[in-house]
Amino acid sequence: MRVTGWGGCLAATGLLLAGCGGGPGGGDEKISDGKVVLAVLNDQSGIYADTSGRQTIEAVKMAVTDFQAKYGDKAASKTIEVKDADHQNKPEIANSKAQELYDRQQADVILDVPTSSAAFAVATIAKNKKKVFIDVGAASTELEGKQCNKYTFHYGYNSYMLAHGTGAEVTKDGSKNWYIVYPDYAFGQDMQKTFSAAIKEAGGTVVASDPTPFPNDNFSTFLLKAPNLDPKPQVIGTMQAGGDLVNLVKQYNEYKLRDKGVGLAVGLLALSDIHSLGSDALAGTRYTDMWYWNADEKSRAWADKFHAKTGKRPTANMAANYSAALQYLEAVQRGGTDNSDEVVKQLEGHKIEDMFARNATIRAQDHLLLHDAYLSEVKPSSEVKEPYDYVKVLKTIPASEAFQPRPDPACRL
Amino acid sequence: MILTRLARSGRGGWLLLVAGLVAAFALPWLIYPPVALDIACWALFAASVDLLLGFTGLLSFGHAAFWGGSAYCTGLIALHTGMPFPVAIAGGAVFTALLALPIGFLSVRLSGIYFAMVTLAFAQMIYFVANQWRDVTGGENGLQGIPRELFGLDLSDSFFFYYAGLPFVLAGLFAAWRIVRSPFGRVLVSIRANPDRARALGYPVDRYKLQAFVLSAALAGTAGGVFSVGHGFASLEGVYWTTSGQAVMMVILGGIGTLWGGAIGAALIVQLQDFLATAGFAETGIITGTIFIVVVLLFRRGIWGTARHLLITRRTPATPADVAAEPKKSVDTPV
Repeated sequence: MRVTGWGGCLAATGLLLAGCGGGPGGGDEKISDGKVVLAVLNDQSGIYADTSGRQTIEAVKMAVTDFQAKYGDKAASKTIEVKDADHQNKPEIANSKAQELYDRQQADVILDVPTSSAAFAVATIAKNKKKVFIDVGAASTELEGKQCNKYTFHYGYNSYMLAHGTGAEVTKDGSKNWYIVYPDYAFGQDMQKTFSAAIKEAGGTVVASDPTPFPNDNFSTFLLKAPNLDPKPQVIGTMQAGGDLVNLVKQYNEYKLRDKGVGLAVGLLALSDIHSLGSDALAGTRYTDMWYWNADEKSRAWADKFHAKTGKRPTANMAANYSAALQYLEAVQRGGTDNSDEVVKQLEGHKIEDMFARNATIRAQDHLLLHDAYLSEVKPSSEVKEPYDYVKVLKTIPASEAFQPRPDPACRL
Repeated sequence: MILTRLARSGRGGWLLLVAGLVAAFALPWLIYPPVALDIACWALFAASVDLLLGFTGLLSFGHAAFWGGSAYCTGLIALHTGMPFPVAIAGGAVFTALLALPIGFLSVRLSGIYFAMVTLAFAQMIYFVANQWRDVTGGENGLQGIPRELFGLDLSDSFFFYYAGLPFVLAGLFAAWRIVRSPFGRVLVSIRANPDRARALGYPVDRYKLQAFVLSAALAGTAGGVFSVGHGFASLEGVYWTTSGQAVMMVILGGIGTLWGGAIGAALIVQLQDFLATAGFAETGIITGTIFIVVVLLFRRGIWGTARHLLITRRTPATPADVAAEPKKSVDTPV
């Protein structure tokens, strides 16, 4: 026992000496550690594993390949690596994983990070470590409000976009009375607030709104209540996501609420949700998305490449991560360095036009990506022509209207 | 005090103490410093659970309330008053001791599984309070950006903060060791062995149990405070029942009633989780669960307990003091 202990000590001392050899690199090199490291931190096993998860890592790798193909020998960094970690949607794990990615894995940027609470944790780390963080997966507008900081970007969507797209557009289309059900945690509460505001602004009324436990598999109390409310709501707005949403939609169909004149609008819906439910379960449901793979030639071309690699069609989240990774690399290329301050300078106010971000700008005041969003509707299976072709885009919401018109004054970069 | 005890237990004790201290100080050189700090915090947390489980015979399944409660309290003090972090941690520990008073008062009357269930129920109540009281605790988002203020010293590097946090852990472990070796601790052991006889001898059993509960909670609170300052973060995860379960698991792995076994269990579990997560293996539970089953089946005294048992049985009969303080039956009658 004691002998192994001393042996361990010796071995440990050896390791220690070996470890001391490679100290941090010199401060003046253009590319830190001689390479650019992109790290994807997201949910790889829980409720958002299908929306982003491991496929997102593939999307980011595609961005690296495309970048290298474009610049070849002229690329600012010869070596570009992609790392990843699973945060299990827990802020505590996100917190320690983010530190680890920046410290141990030499990550220069962290991407994705769904679940707002986890995103806030990573934003705090990014701020302290002065490293770039581009969030795609989280919805909260606080990322560009109270929680914003110089090194954090919000790329893709937020609860404002969802609420003002779906809430306002559906109300203007004549569904004036809403019944909102939302999961009782930060994301749901935030969505309930922004949706209610958007609906009122568009001249509608929120008849009632109910919090549900999270996670939850029985929504019958809330669904059965809907047709009996006074005035009768024309649409149920559900803010559930992932597995909860799947349960709610199944039960909505079992009670045949659509036949009773109560429509369904979904706060946050991903292609993967439609795929797992089947498009008939959601047919006619309207929602706002930041991208759709079959919307036009440019999107489709990329989706085909993605399909060739993974056998699946990409969700909007994956496309957004591709775009974020690509734009980060472009910023490194423009600045000639992966130094965080320089990259931030290159990204701020930059105009972007790629297969994901259309008519896009990164707003310098709050680091929010403004781009076109799409009001979409799920097609019945009779109209679905090929696998994953579940959605038709009803309307493009221009970048200037899709997101907050003004930066939140609470944000001080 | 240390000296007399070590003199009595001979050379082995010295060596082990020195080895332990060297390991504690060398840890952040050997492994990633935040992980090292996690191990230190969990070691103290496990010791606090062992104080109840191994020495008083109470299996608390609600210690997350104290660990996580202190994490919040420490975080709030550090965030809102800007006091140096040692004050915040002390505040957190005092808060948990106060919190443990009513909880302990109501639960120490029970024993065995009932005690475990009642403490679990209280801990879940604390969890829901923390979840719903969003203005204070941040709900889902947790408390973020807890500062590491210490008279203007820059402790932002986790490597240096480890050495700032370590004294609290060592002090906590020392306190636990003193409690166990004191006359008070002997009474606790006698209560574990036979509460009725202890009562017949005139010891107010419930009051002793309550004192042990509060002391244990304060130690758990200290650990939780260091943890939250170390991570700059306090979250619901800390007050969730899985946290209690993890601490109990560390104690069982290391050896119930050994006090230091918890540190071994903590080092094992934390390292394993870190290793598996970095290796991209998602189902950490399968591996830790398997190890747990193997240890429980093969080393019923836990890792440290088995090692110590082998040492004691191989050595010529130990001194009376050792026999009294390290009862061989400690593992067989834990609850």
